[in-house]
Amino acid sequence: MKVAVMSCIHGNYEALNAVLSDIDDQSADKIYCLGDLVGYGPHPNAVVEMIRALDIPTCQGCWDEDIVEGLNSCECSYPSVLAEKRGKQAHEWTDQVIHPEVREFLAQLPLSLRDDNLCFVHGSPHNQHEYLMPEVDAFVALERVLVTGADILFCGHTHVPYVRSLDAGQLQIRVKSTGTTERDVSFSAPLKRIVNAGSVGEPRHGRPNATYVIYNTDADQITLREVEYDYQKTCAAIIDNGLPPIFAWRLARGLEFAERADDPTHVCER
Amino acid sequence: MQPLNITLVAGSIGAGKTTWIQQQVHTTAETVIYLSLDAGETAVDSTYLAAEVPGLTVLSAVQLANFLEHPTDGCVVYLELGFHIDLNSIILPDPMADCRRVAVLPPGTRHTEWHGWADVVVTGAEASITLRQPHLWRSALSGQVLDSASLNTFWYELTNGAYGTIQRAKGIFDVADGRSLYFDFVAGLPETTDMELNLPRWLNGRPDRFSGIEIVGEALGQTAIAQTLKDCCLDEQAIAYYQQQIKDLIEQGEEVA
Repeated sequence: MKVAVMSCIHGNYEALNAVLSDIDDQSADKIYCLGDLVGYGPHPNAVVEMIRALDIPTCQGCWDEDIVEGLNSCECSYPSVLAEKRGKQAHEWTDQVIHPEVREFLAQLPLSLRDDNLCFVHGSPHNQHEYLMPEVDAFVALERVLVTGADILFCGHTHVPYVRSLDAGQLQIRVKSTGTTERDVSFSAPLKRIVNAGSVGEPRHGRPNATYVIYNTDADQITLREVEYDYQKTCAAIIDNGLPPIFAWRLARGLEFAERADDPTHVCER
Repeated sequence: MQPLNITLVAGSIGAGKTTWIQQQVHTTAETVIYLSLDAGETAVDSTYLAAEVPGLTVLSAVQLANFLEHPTDGCVVYLELGFHIDLNSIILPDPMADCRRVAVLPPGTRHTEWHGWADVVVTGAEASITLRQPHLWRSALSGQVLDSASLNTFWYELTNGAYGTIQRAKGIFDVADGRSLYFDFVAGLPETTDMELNLPRWLNGRPDRFSGIEIVGEALGQTAIAQTLKDCCLDEQAIAYYQQQIKDLIEQGEEVA
């Protein structure tokens, strides 16, 4: 069975269409979406309507949450005051144009999805705002997969796709309880993997192309797909809709509209 | 009295006028006086040279007039002219009539008005692009404190064409940790990193010293540039917060990066 996983569409309808068509060409049997359907891009309503129409199982991203709950994170979510101001501009624009039924749809999205030994989240199992960067400490990475009970954790949020295998994981724990002596327990974790699906609508890998992944369950094979699309159309729509022109400039260069936070594992508690 | 040793320096954008002057200063033991004739309120070159070149004194136009009336022996004077100044329109005061005229131009430049004007033509840096209608945009930012990460994003966007074609950009910016940073870009030359100017950290409110930016380019998105710069600036509360953090670190004897 082929499972297609996509994430971070960010209101980029052109990119979504191109990816859906590529998924079709690859004859995928199932599609999962890891959220961030809206924010920054010019077509948030159309993107959500398409996901709904195709009944694609989707979990809630951080932007989806912010549009439902209101922007309530502190400046820790942004790497710079400039990124914060741009993020707020994008949020306010999206907040104004979003249809009530689209907001309702985003509100009821689950935080994670499960399919057999596969788990799907936006950022990490702990929070949709947490970034699981490819270089994150191996113990942290392993803990994030183990906590789900799955073998493969699919995430997005960083906008750069990657596959990370966590093998030969040796864990040692010390058990302490009153009235008993301390006990050391060692065990080895079976092979676990983290797969980041990249971003459909707001890539950050230096090219404008959309990215997503396909997992072939029979061959146990993960393929990162990079799909060209007419990004100039999205750029024109960004400008026509009154979003800051710098968003279009960055999209055309695969630079994302804002940038990720300085401390990627920091999660705002507000 | 000895005749005054005065050099007028002109030349095209990004050819290296300021760099050439800096090189001359290093080879002279005399006191050097510098004035940029077109700087007005945005004195990027003057501020940079004053901070980085020991023994160089930057004068304003009024101070220069006074100096010419009562010159000190053993001084050399460099006057830098912007690329957009009409060389024929300059009326020099009498004491400067015999000054040396130097034009700094890219290699291979011939038959320009600078050639007719200069006594000496110095070969400067290669020009990678020639603008049909070069436009100079500048802005004084004195008193503003910028967030470093935002400034880096802005500078990357600016020098990679997000706000029009840029041939030359230079700026001096005060950042949150109290340093004054100098940024310099010439199209076609390898990208340089920003450098910290040899000035004390400013840790008491809004800096009372020059900061600002000069850009030469074509089809410049001036409103967007100004807005982005504004969005990089910190408010009073943030300035106070960061300055206090740096002061605490210094008090604890810790090295401030």
